[in-house]
Amino acid sequence: MTSTETASDLSPIAPPPSKNRSRRRSILVLAVLVLAVLALLSQGLLHSLNYFETVNEVFAHRSSVGTEVIRLEGVVEPGSINRSSNGATFVLAGSKGRRVYVDAHGSPPQLFQANIPVVVVGHFVSSTSLNFDGTQIMVKHSASYIAAHPSRVKAPNGSSR
Amino acid sequence: MMKQLSQRLLGPVTLALLTLTFWLGMWVTPPDKVQGDLVRLVYVHPAIAWVALYVSFGTATIASALYLWKRTRSMVMDRVAHCAMEVSVVFIILTLITGSIWGRPTWGVWWAWDARLTSTAILGVLAVGYLALRRANDDPSLRARRSAVFAILSAINVPIIHFSVLWWKTLHQGATVFTANRTLLIHGIMAWTLLISFIAFTLLFFWLLRARYRLEVSRDQSRSVALATSLEMRRREGAI
Repeated sequence: MTSTETASDLSPIAPPPSKNRSRRRSILVLAVLVLAVLALLSQGLLHSLNYFETVNEVFAHRSSVGTEVIRLEGVVEPGSINRSSNGATFVLAGSKGRRVYVDAHGSPPQLFQANIPVVVVGHFVSSTSLNFDGTQIMVKHSASYIAAHPSRVKAPNGSSR
Repeated sequence: MMKQLSQRLLGPVTLALLTLTFWLGMWVTPPDKVQGDLVRLVYVHPAIAWVALYVSFGTATIASALYLWKRTRSMVMDRVAHCAMEVSVVFIILTLITGSIWGRPTWGVWWAWDARLTSTAILGVLAVGYLALRRANDDPSLRARRSAVFAILSAINVPIIHFSVLWWKTLHQGATVFTANRTLLIHGIMAWTLLISFIAFTLLFFWLLRARYRLEVSRDQSRSVALATSLEMRRREGAI
């Protein structure tokens, strides 16, 4: 490298417009973020903030539900489960003796059993019927954890769980 | 002396508590009445979620607020916020993965678009967005200011996630520990193991944060050295 070339290399260089560039990039990042959040919201929350309707709620406005596809929540009535190769039929109970007769297709989840709350995706077979045609069963287990061996875990009040 | 000792012990204590959690969770605690052995995921998933939502995102938010407050403004706060958010991204992803692994056999689905899961996924997007925003800004002070504001605004989602199971009907179960009436819904050795898991994963966060912070400090130092070296080289070239 000659001394002439070195001198030309050392000539002042205009600083890059970093602030404007940063602003443009920031706006781009924020725009992508807004789109991503909106996409998630549209999938998850904008349709309904509540993931399901309970049996009681459906009974309260049964006529407006009609035969549209809903997620129905209730407790599986003991003694009502009838498993088959296609799925299972059972009764979904709400309070005050409200009952929906479910015919669900597909294999139920591992925890599916009597007295457990479940959410069934499906629709009523007619606008006045209480027979529900389910395409998917989801188990909504509680937040309580109770030992399967009662003698090994005791509640704070001393009672065995 | 005490500070050095605690720093030296952080790693071994974290590993010891994680091992203890694993041992208690796998062999000592009983199966659950309903979930059976699936309950063992309760010693992993809630603790990871606790770190993701409250500890790491909380650290990033507090450090961001301290950066924006003039009296405590320093690049240290910006660095802590940045490093905590990076660790937070890891824990949010782990939260979603462990939740999915737990959800498949219990709920019957890998994923449900309920309020809890969706708002957690949004937090993940916001945390990644924070890191992207940092890369979009070249000027250190501008970067620190913009990302701090973004972190604080993103933190609004944390209470939404926390209360989502109370405000809306979700497939995700409600709180087991932080219940509305402050009643624990888990007892005995199961509760103690859960507590140990929370402590273990919290310490893991601080261990990772410290390592990431040290890396960031050495990166900054090497950048300064590289800048000083290149300036010196140009000076020497000019002197030829």
